[in-house]
Amino acid sequence: MAVFVTFWGTRGSIPTPGNSTRVYGGNTPCVEVRVDDALFICDAGSGIRELGADLLTREDRPDELHLLITHTHWDHIQGFPFFAPAYMPNTRIRVYGTALGDESRHQLLSGQMSSSYFPVGFGELKAEILDDVFTEGSKEIGDTRVACFPLNHPGGCFGYSFKRGDVKIVYLTDNEIENDPKEVRDDPSTEEKPRTVPVELIEAVRGADLLIADAQYTDEEYEDKRGWGHTSCLTVTDLAIQSGVKKLALFHHDPTTNDNGVDERVRLCGERAAQFKSEIFVFGAREGVTLKF
Amino acid sequence: MDHPSDSATIATSSLAPRKGRSSRPHYLEQSDGDDGGIRLFKLAKKETVIGRAEDAPVRLISPKASRQHAILHRRSGEFIIQDNGSRNGVYLNGLKVWRALLRDGDIIQIADSEFVYREG
Repeated sequence: MAVFVTFWGTRGSIPTPGNSTRVYGGNTPCVEVRVDDALFICDAGSGIRELGADLLTREDRPDELHLLITHTHWDHIQGFPFFAPAYMPNTRIRVYGTALGDESRHQLLSGQMSSSYFPVGFGELKAEILDDVFTEGSKEIGDTRVACFPLNHPGGCFGYSFKRGDVKIVYLTDNEIENDPKEVRDDPSTEEKPRTVPVELIEAVRGADLLIADAQYTDEEYEDKRGWGHTSCLTVTDLAIQSGVKKLALFHHDPTTNDNGVDERVRLCGERAAQFKSEIFVFGAREGVTLKF
Repeated sequence: MDHPSDSATIATSSLAPRKGRSSRPHYLEQSDGDDGGIRLFKLAKKETVIGRAEDAPVRLISPKASRQHAILHRRSGEFIIQDNGSRNGVYLNGLKVWRALLRDGDIIQIADSEFVYREG
C-alpha cells in the first residue's frame, strides 16, 4: 500500500502564469491523493485540466473519481469544465457535500456551465456525475477514512483528511487561523512560544505525515488582509508544530508572490520551526511534484 | 492611420523561427567529483537513467545507489525525474520526491551524489 500526493495547482485566487511563477506554478488549487485504486481530487481549480489530461494517459485509471471541493469560490471550481474525464463515458465522478442535503458544490459546478458562462452545458458531460455526502463528518471510501472539518473562510470552507493505515494526509486551504482584529503581534523572532490556534484544528491535523496548508501571506501582508480568509505562513507553521506534523507544504500562493517570494516564505517558516526546536520539513507546494508515503 | 514618425517602418507579415526551450540542451551539473571539478551530463535523449548500473548514462559509484535508481524523462522540452523504485529515494531541494518536473537550479540528491539541473 502506498499513498501518492500530486500537486496540479498551488496558486490562490486567480491563475498566474508567467516566468515569475514558473517554478511553483500558476494554476489554481488542485491536488490528487491516490491510495491504491482510489483517486481523490481536492478542488477543481485550473490545475485540474492537467490532471485530466494526465489521467487519460494512465492505463490504470480508475472508473470512479472522488471530487472533494473545499468551497465554491471561483478559484476552486473554475477548472472543472476543462476536466477531460468529465466528457468520457464509463467514468463516474462523485462530488461530495459536507452535510445531508448539501448540494451546493454540485450546483455551482453545473451552474458555471450555463450558457452565459461556458459553451458546453453540464448536461452534455458524458461521465456520470453523482452527489455524495459526509453525513457524520467522515466516511470510509475504499479503504481510506476521509474526514471533513469546517474552516474559517468567508462563506464557509472545509478541510479534508485522508487516513489509510499509518499514513495521514491533510488538505487545509482557504483558512484564516487568526481572526481577532484586536490582536497585535510582536516581532515574531521574540515570540517565546507558538501562537495559539484552535484546538479543533490541532486535533484534525494531529500527526499528519503531510499537511498541505494555506500560507498565502507573510505577517506584514496579513495585517492589511485581515478577514479575507487566509493565513500568515508563520501562524500555519505554528499549527503544524503543535499538531506534530512531519511535512508542511505551504500552499495557495498569493498571485502577487513570485517564485523568489515563495522561497522566502519557506525560509522564514523553516527558521520558525527551528526557533521552536521542531524537526518539521517545510517546503513550497509546487506543480508537477509527486510525493510517496 | 499610422503615426507620422512610424512611416519609415514597413510592417512585416513573416515571423522568425522561435527558439523554444526544447531546442536548447539541458544538462546535469555534478560538483562532487574526486578531482573537485564539475562534470556535465548533457540530457539529449528521451530517457536518461541515473544509477549504479555499468551502462547507466549518469553512473553513480555508491552502494547506496540502486542500479537504475531514477529516470529523467523528456516531455515537451522539459524534464521530469522519476524515482524508479529505488531503495534510498530521490531528493529535490531536500524534499524526498517520487516524481517531479524540474526547473533551472533545482538540486537533485541521489545516494552520495548531488546534481544541479540546468536549462540551456
